[in-house]
Amino acid sequence: MKNRSILAMLALALVAALVVTIAYRKDSGPALGKGKVIAIFKTSGSANAFWAAVSEGIESGAQDFGLEVSIRAPRDEIYVDEQIQILRNAIDERPAAIVLAASDFHRLVEPVREAKAKGIKVVCVDSFIESEDADAKIGTDNFEAGQKCGAALLRRLYSVSRAAGQRVAVMSYVQGSSTAIGRESGLRAALGDKAVIVGTSYSSSEEQIAYRQAKEILATESALAGIAALNLPTILGAARALFESGREDKVVLVGFDNSPEVMRLIEQGVIRDAIVQKPFNMGYLSMQTVRELLSGRRSERFTNTGSVDVDQANMFEPENQKLLFPVAGQ
Amino acid sequence: MKIHRIQTTLVRAFALIVIMTIVLLGSVSLNFFRKTLVDSAEQSTMQFAAQLSRIVDNYIMYMNDIALVVMEDEDVRAYMGAPAASAARDRARIEQFLGSIRKVRKDIDGVFLVPGRAGDDGDAPKILPAYVIASSPGEGVNPDYDFGRFASTGVAAAGKGDKPFVSSAHVENMVDGRYPWVISLVREVRGEDGSAIGYIQVDLNYAIIEDLCKDIQLGSSGYVFILGASGDIVYHPRQQLVYSNLKTERISELLALRAGFLTSKVDGRDILYTAKPSERTGWIIVVVSYLSELLAGSQRAIYTFMLLAILCFAVSVFVSSFVSVRISRPIEVLRRSMQEVEKGNFDMDITVECSNEVYQLARDCDIAVKKVRDLIEQNRKDSEQKRLLELRALQAQINPHFLYNTLDSIIWMVELGENERAIDVTSSLARFFRLGISRGSEIITIRTEIDYLETYLSIQKIRYKDKLDYEVSFQPELYGYRILKLLVQPIVENAIYHGIKNKESPGVVRVYGEREGETMLIRVSDDGVGMDADRLDALRRSLSAPADYDARPDRYAPEETGPSFGGVGVHNVQERIALYFGSEYGLSFESTPGVGTTAILRIPLVEEVEP
Repeated sequence: MKNRSILAMLALALVAALVVTIAYRKDSGPALGKGKVIAIFKTSGSANAFWAAVSEGIESGAQDFGLEVSIRAPRDEIYVDEQIQILRNAIDERPAAIVLAASDFHRLVEPVREAKAKGIKVVCVDSFIESEDADAKIGTDNFEAGQKCGAALLRRLYSVSRAAGQRVAVMSYVQGSSTAIGRESGLRAALGDKAVIVGTSYSSSEEQIAYRQAKEILATESALAGIAALNLPTILGAARALFESGREDKVVLVGFDNSPEVMRLIEQGVIRDAIVQKPFNMGYLSMQTVRELLSGRRSERFTNTGSVDVDQANMFEPENQKLLFPVAGQ
Repeated sequence: MKIHRIQTTLVRAFALIVIMTIVLLGSVSLNFFRKTLVDSAEQSTMQFAAQLSRIVDNYIMYMNDIALVVMEDEDVRAYMGAPAASAARDRARIEQFLGSIRKVRKDIDGVFLVPGRAGDDGDAPKILPAYVIASSPGEGVNPDYDFGRFASTGVAAAGKGDKPFVSSAHVENMVDGRYPWVISLVREVRGEDGSAIGYIQVDLNYAIIEDLCKDIQLGSSGYVFILGASGDIVYHPRQQLVYSNLKTERISELLALRAGFLTSKVDGRDILYTAKPSERTGWIIVVVSYLSELLAGSQRAIYTFMLLAILCFAVSVFVSSFVSVRISRPIEVLRRSMQEVEKGNFDMDITVECSNEVYQLARDCDIAVKKVRDLIEQNRKDSEQKRLLELRALQAQINPHFLYNTLDSIIWMVELGENERAIDVTSSLARFFRLGISRGSEIITIRTEIDYLETYLSIQKIRYKDKLDYEVSFQPELYGYRILKLLVQPIVENAIYHGIKNKESPGVVRVYGEREGETMLIRVSDDGVGMDADRLDALRRSLSAPADYDARPDRYAPEETGPSFGGVGVHNVQERIALYFGSEYGLSFESTPGVGTTAILRIPLVEEVEP
């Protein structure tokens, strides 16, 4: 018993010193350790305002949540093989997490499984995959956005004419694309039997194809009252055809996505409503989600980043300006 | 009682003192340190905000200067006064003039001349869109631009009068095909008659403000944002998050505060808002900094302090245990020694290697132990002495001469036919020896002593016939007490041989015991020849000197002469009394020649109870 209490006190001092040192290391070091994240887009942000905004959100989020992120993308949305290759290369680098905007609903399921098998967290942003392998999904609830689009279309139709059973055309982009399916079914749900859908076309996200398709439907459907174009190239093509036809007063054009061109067309009155997603928030929230997943706090599987119905009246509202117009010089 | 070791107690006390000192001193000084850091952080963020607001003001001032320069231009005034009447050449010259301004100043995105008349009584001004001159990198005036809105609800409405209006950050759509982010300054232009003839708008490239704020690094997560005068956001690095309610700032409180500090807690982190308004725009520059980053220094200080505190604690435990060992080790050694002493081992030296009070204590103990050892030795010697003395007393009692003479007397009595007396003497003699040699303790009751004395005296009386008479009396209250055996008999013998025997006439020996306080006095007096002063003095001196038996040749002197006065018997008595009861007790003599001698035995009252 002679030295027991002294030894105990010294041991206590040692333990306390250890605790303090560890606490200090923890406190002074990075909050939770830099997590390496690889984000794979459908297409590069340099060519596309939407992905530029996602990229901006990701960078802001990475800064706020202490992540180190590298952004990659295939040349274009249609190069699915290239995206799969990029994803496989990313898996080999063993990042803590991968943020993926799947360019194909089915074909990316397998590579995502491979990533999961290597213990990499996978967050799907904007476009998802068929399976539920991803740890979290962040993006617009496209069904809800489609409903918004449908409601806008009905409102515009009735502002032109009170007649029932007006004829509308749905212009989608890629058949089988999850976002396209979501938007179209939302749109159809909102329209119900208040309008007659005369046909659905797929533009393959090509403005030129959309232009030809719109031109054709305008030519064949003389009683056409509305067009819903479900993404950016499609609405731009449709707008061009409508403008050239000179029927923009009789045919209301609503659709998805924004660009300065779309905004100009809204100002001109060619496009009535654009359902605009929130790409910055998508990017930012994807980083927040990665951080939560890495610290094991995540429970929510899907985050709806929401959408806004933009028209001539609200496009210059302060809360919409940042969303709709990129700040020059970025 | 629980025994606390000195070492433990000391170490605990030291540790407690150190901990208390550390906690008190530490919390006070760290608090002070933290406050100082916060103060200096506030000061620096405020300076920072003030600097930013100055830069913003400078930009606005310079936009205003440009607006004034354009307004003062003669051609511009002429055109604004009557745009419909002006020639295309004039318009081209103005466009060139405005273009050259933009060329020089890259941060000016556009300059617009908007001719129009002020409306009557608060009505919207009447704008002439066809005559608007837009100098910008774009392709002329946006045909879809809503000038009605510009004039009524837009910036121009607020630009009435001399004071320029400064807009918040917004998208400029007055130019066809471009949507630049700008900050607009609008001034009313007045004609010769003082009435409004239109407006001039200067657009500052918003990217300048954004770059200014964006590049600011305040720790790793601090940032700057700018609030418009009405609470709209001029710049915020996470503006979209704010609009989506994914991020909230305390805008209304900052608007009310305008200048100063505000603290808030976001995601468990303490945030310091530093607000400073810009005078010309009414904007509020808000510097957001994270206290944990501002106070990183204090955090480090706290950890350093804590480590130092723990070190102090450990050192104090070490030092105190060292000190306490130095104190307790000698005490431990001393304790071990004392345990040995407890076991009865007095034969040791208590030595402790140290140089403090414990050393003195050990030395005192050593002395005490040695004294005890000496006492024990003394005691042992005393016991031996007692045994020896008792033996001698017995030897003296069994004086052979007494025995021979008594036996001679018995023979005589038998020859003379005095059988009765012979039987008496013989039985008395037997009784005398039996009592004297009787086993058991050395301490006997007064009754036994009286019995013994009477037996002895009766034998002597028979021998000396009518020459000796005797009387033994003790106060009855003394009967309960005890006395050393063979104390009185030698004195009586002495009285007979030296007092009565040498006297012509018959003599009487009296033994009288009485109590005097806690003392028992036994007087043995005879009315014999007595002693002169010289003999009495010699006797007294010899009694106070230590006995020296070997030097005494008269141990077995013939009975007729008897042991010399103050011989073995008397000395033996004196020494035994001193040994048993202490030197304050003992034997004394008084004598008058021709009258007699009295010996006084002084002994303490010894209880009946066996010790």
